[in-house]
Amino acid sequence: MRRAPLLLLLAALVPAAHAFTKAEMRAIAAHGPWPPAFARDPSNRASGNPDAIELGERLFFERRLSADGEQSCSRCHIPERSWTDGLARAQGLALTDRNTQSIANVRLQRWFGWDGANDSLWAQSIRPIIDPRELGMGARQVAALVRGDADLACRYRKVFGEVPANDEAVLVGVAKALAAFQETRVSGRAPFDEFRDALLKGDEAGIASYPEDAKRGLVIFIGKGKCNACHLGPAFTNGEFHDTGIPFFIEKGRVDPGRHSGIQKLRASPYNLLGPYNDAPERAAAIGTRHVRLEHRNFGEFRTPSLRNLAPTAPYMHNGSLATLRDVVNHYSTLSPDRLHADGEAILVALKLGEGEVRDLVAFLESLSDGGGTYARRRFAADCR
Amino acid sequence: MRLAALLALAAPAALACEMPGGPAEKLQSATHTILYRAEPGLGVGRHFALAVAVCPPPKDVRVDAWMPDHRHGMNYRPSIAPLGDGRYRADGLLFHMPGRWEFLFEVRGAGGTERFEHSVRVE
Ligand code: HEC
Ligand code: HEC
Ligand SMILES: [Cu+2]
Repeated sequence: MRRAPLLLLLAALVPAAHAFTKAEMRAIAAHGPWPPAFARDPSNRASGNPDAIELGERLFFERRLSADGEQSCSRCHIPERSWTDGLARAQGLALTDRNTQSIANVRLQRWFGWDGANDSLWAQSIRPIIDPRELGMGARQVAALVRGDADLACRYRKVFGEVPANDEAVLVGVAKALAAFQETRVSGRAPFDEFRDALLKGDEAGIASYPEDAKRGLVIFIGKGKCNACHLGPAFTNGEFHDTGIPFFIEKGRVDPGRHSGIQKLRASPYNLLGPYNDAPERAAAIGTRHVRLEHRNFGEFRTPSLRNLAPTAPYMHNGSLATLRDVVNHYSTLSPDRLHADGEAILVALKLGEGEVRDLVAFLESLSDGGGTYARRRFAADCR
Repeated sequence: MRLAALLALAAPAALACEMPGGPAEKLQSATHTILYRAEPGLGVGRHFALAVAVCPPPKDVRVDAWMPDHRHGMNYRPSIAPLGDGRYRADGLLFHMPGRWEFLFEVRGAGGTERFEHSVRVE
């Protein structure tokens, strides 16, 4: 009885906070927990091996892994930018057609690249090494680098037992070590994760410390925005492919067919999971590759990106055509059905958001970033013996 | 009295169609009964298989699924392996979005091809 006036006073002071419905709570819970538990990649026998992780980390920053001795994985996947480069389209030995993807949380994907042209992280790691626009090497040059450097050769043997005589096999080993390193790159906890866990526990203070604009943005994200139809789960992606009305013209007369050519490249690749380099004895991981279906609608489809750590990874979309998160939200807000390919996703309609709603949705997207600083390059120990 | 006799007649036929190993969805027409079960259960964003039993055993069965409201199918073409006696295993299915999906079963029997549809919601 005596506490009633105080409660009334509090109720008057606190602005009406959004009370989440049961359905909203379920939708919010589905975006966690974070971080996910580690699981080995059965197709890569070096996965989770500390020696492979160290070799992969060295190779990721290794300029001798490029034709001109100036490029490296880390020149496009820059740690301080959450492993991206800030460019619209990546620039290696030449300008490429696409925006650099982050390698944070990449382990959680089923398909790799904007077009899913690879079905494993190690196969995806071969692509930039041999692409003439990126590192421009060949299997022969990579094998020569490993064999000719006593330290690299020693580390390679530590992981794989021997440096194979076959150049292509050496290249695959290098890619598997690179994959082992990239698997360890997981983004840290973001303000959203603290909020989600607080909400599930009923921790009022934790709930209150998540900004109100981000909460309103979250309600749009899982509500009328239907963003979680594709950006679902702890990594905010279904790992599959959609056409969201981003133009697929690269320049006059040249288009990026996206998933349509991705499936064809996947099938033609000697490094796919159906091929001889898959280390999993029963090939269970190849189930997607065996069943993937090529359809006309795949033309102009790109993989749904994760929405974690967006703040440092501008510009956005497969071609880097949208400079800010505000531009992305405006894109979904004003999207016209004519801009979608004929077979475009039927759930995408212009959201016609108000100015405040745009700001709220941006605030929510920003709350999915971990604030940086989760990676410090290791100082490597003495030479390998 | 008549009704009871009919039911008694129908019972053995229904009993004959079963699929051990857990509860299953049941679809029925005048000529066929289909039992199916998702293994390891339905969900979004991961591959699953279907255990299927068709009674009486047909010549051939095909399985697919689509999202009627979004007007698209799966990104995967399921494979189907006959296990004998009208039992099948369909592999490689994946629902890549939450919402309403519809399973499609095409059963080719002695009297022609029959289509079955079954709607499910996944979250
Ligand atoms: C010239 C810049 C550049 C260099 C150098 C580069 N990358 Fe990339 N990386 C990209 C671009 C662009 C994409 C998107 C490629 C696509 O969709 O085809 C990408 C995609 C990836 C992906 C897929 C991520 C995902 O979410 O699917 C991985 C993994 C990756 N790179 C690893 C590497 C490794 C390992 C190296 C060094 C061997 C490397 N990259 C070198 C620009 C680069
Ligand atoms: C139909 C599936 C789908 C829906 C629904 C959807 N997205 Fe996307 N989203 C994608 C795909 C696919 C891309 C990449 C498109 C491309 O690059 O061509 C993307 C890209 C993005 C990006 C850029 C990320 C990056 O790293 O480049 C952001 C941010 C984003 N979406 C936020 C949202 C928000 C907010 C909503 C709800 C208003 C939403 N999405 C709804 C599939 C979807
Ligand atoms: Cu859909």
